[in-house]
Amino acid sequence: MEIVDTYYSKDEYVETASGNKVSRQTVLCGSQNIVLNGKVVVQTGAIIRGDLANVRTGRYCVISKNAVIRPPYKQFSKGIAFFPMHIGDHVFIGESAVVSASSIGSFVYIGKNAIIGRRCALKDCCIIEDGAVLPPETTVASYMRYTAKGTIEGGQGNPNFVPAAMQDQMVDYTKSFYEHFLRNPQAG
Amino acid sequence: MANFMQNSVVSYACTCGLVNPITKLFFCRHCLKLRCGFCVCHEVDSHFCSNCLENIPSSEAKHKKNCCTNCFNCPCCQHTLSARATMVVVPKKTDDSPKEGEGDGVKAVTKKMYYLSCLGCRWTSRDVGIPDQNVATGAWPENECSYQTRFNALLEYYQAVVLQDKQEKQEYLRRKTPKAHKFPSLTDRTGLTVSMIRRQIGWPDKNTQKAKPVNITPSVATDELEDLPADVFTQPINLRNVSNIQQRHGQPSDQPFTVNKLYPQRRILWIKRSLRCRQCEHNVIKPEYHPTSVKYRIQLFANYHVPDVLLVRSEEVLHAGKSGSIILKLTNPTMHDMSIKIKELPTLSEELEMIEEFKLACKIKENTATSAAAESLKSITSSPSLTSTTLSRQTSLIEDPRIVQQKANVKLNNSELNFVLNQRDDSTEFDEDVQTPREEPEFIIWRKSNKVSIRLPFTTDESLKVGDLVKVGFTMEYTYVNTVTNTPTSHTLSARVFIDAGQILGE
Repeated sequence: MEIVDTYYSKDEYVETASGNKVSRQTVLCGSQNIVLNGKVVVQTGAIIRGDLANVRTGRYCVISKNAVIRPPYKQFSKGIAFFPMHIGDHVFIGESAVVSASSIGSFVYIGKNAIIGRRCALKDCCIIEDGAVLPPETTVASYMRYTAKGTIEGGQGNPNFVPAAMQDQMVDYTKSFYEHFLRNPQAG
Repeated sequence: MANFMQNSVVSYACTCGLVNPITKLFFCRHCLKLRCGFCVCHEVDSHFCSNCLENIPSSEAKHKKNCCTNCFNCPCCQHTLSARATMVVVPKKTDDSPKEGEGDGVKAVTKKMYYLSCLGCRWTSRDVGIPDQNVATGAWPENECSYQTRFNALLEYYQAVVLQDKQEKQEYLRRKTPKAHKFPSLTDRTGLTVSMIRRQIGWPDKNTQKAKPVNITPSVATDELEDLPADVFTQPINLRNVSNIQQRHGQPSDQPFTVNKLYPQRRILWIKRSLRCRQCEHNVIKPEYHPTSVKYRIQLFANYHVPDVLLVRSEEVLHAGKSGSIILKLTNPTMHDMSIKIKELPTLSEELEMIEEFKLACKIKENTATSAAAESLKSITSSPSLTSTTLSRQTSLIEDPRIVQQKANVKLNNSELNFVLNQRDDSTEFDEDVQTPREEPEFIIWRKSNKVSIRLPFTTDESLKVGDLVKVGFTMEYTYVNTVTNTPTSHTLSARVFIDAGQILGE
């Protein structure tokens, strides 16, 4: 099924020169530390905590409504330190997801209401199911699917959990999401 | 392409008759057929640990019982354990005699120690009394169960039995096969091996020792059982201390009854699979070895070769027995123009015919394969050790094709729709959008580079009731340019496509 066009009004979103579409109703703390590498959609209610550490996303990322991007911290004997967070290209972060991963690869799908504990590593082409909770410091390897039950399934070449053509699918999905996220022509 | 997280509304019938979304299908470039997950052989390509992402060669993986040496799972919640560092104050005893005025000679030194901790359920290796270690990885004590020696003895015994069996069978085969020549031929005389002559005379090979299984003491069943302790009936049980089924299965060798006997479990390795077409035995998927790589060396996904059909929307409210139409978007993924013909699905008899044809093709292939195998067998009968290896190679089983379960409940209004789908050109994305007006059939709504949007009118069956799902089905014939052969050849292939157009709403 083709993605249906979603329209936003002109005053709701800001479009930057590089094609990022960022809602005005977001909390972007420490915006000088946030790098959105172009064609990124940040929807209403999202929170990006750039004040804690640098946040960097690749191209064609989608940060859905009420998602929270929070750089991870590590506890040392002398207090805590925050680490920068890297998100690859073509990453979809679902609604109300809380993400504190230290690195997210490219072509990653994070379902809605998922909670990604601090210092997790999500490799390229993995899927986090809706409502999954990842304990801190979990590694999800490529072509793995972290289920809501808390198990890891899949593997490259196993067609039942993560599609073999995950890379193409995510490219296709995030691109068409961006292309169907349009300014309302009537509202001007 | 459809969103992989939702159920796809467009599905394709595989050659075997199962219906799948295009994302789960492969296209064998050698048979020019669609293949689903059941029509391919799944083979283990490489082993790796999904936590430390280390590639482990298959022989080593076998040796390590398919477990990672560095990573552990929590015995309580099966999550990965992580090593935590703590500063521990250890009293340090100085060996040399205490000097005057320096206290008692026992100094407190802080030392970095490691223990394993689960961040999912807060279990730590200290809970079960595993002492802290000096190094973070390795060196964790192996949890040996009491049956280990017995188990190893049994394993050794049965391996020897298998080996003996095999040798006896070989011996028997060698005696049975008629000798190729009574007299050693020229090659044999100039020849090569003493063992060959020995074999022809019928003597056993010198170098092979007969494997004799060492004797084991057989297990004896006993009638005497200890009675249950009396307090089983009187003491209240604390379920928090009792391990659950999952925890016991995680530790199959001893299956502890209480949680204080749970030990960290080595993490099981994962595999990358390569998929192979069962008919022609060519790979359809072969991943790269490196665990972090997401690339493929061979990737024959269906959506690289078969025109992708996408449902844009259903045009009007669907009524039973009335006409409706859907708008489809077709994409040509190949580098060659395709001419596409959309027509009715084959009838039952035609479908049966197709299945027969497919079966025949399989049979021909099988016959040639068996005759080839027989030939190769004949040529190497002189070396009996080889025959077993050739025979052990599995001939892949081909699933019998079946009739597609999914049935369309509409009739297409046009008997045939013909149009051309332009080749894919990645550079058009950056070009100015110039529409060259050209003569188009009326069902084409728009066209842009390799994509075309068409309107497909149909009439729904009268038997449908309100709420029933309308299934549109059609055969899509497309030209496919095969580039495997030296000179590109064009073929006309067909795919059966099923689309959920929505529910019947009005009377």
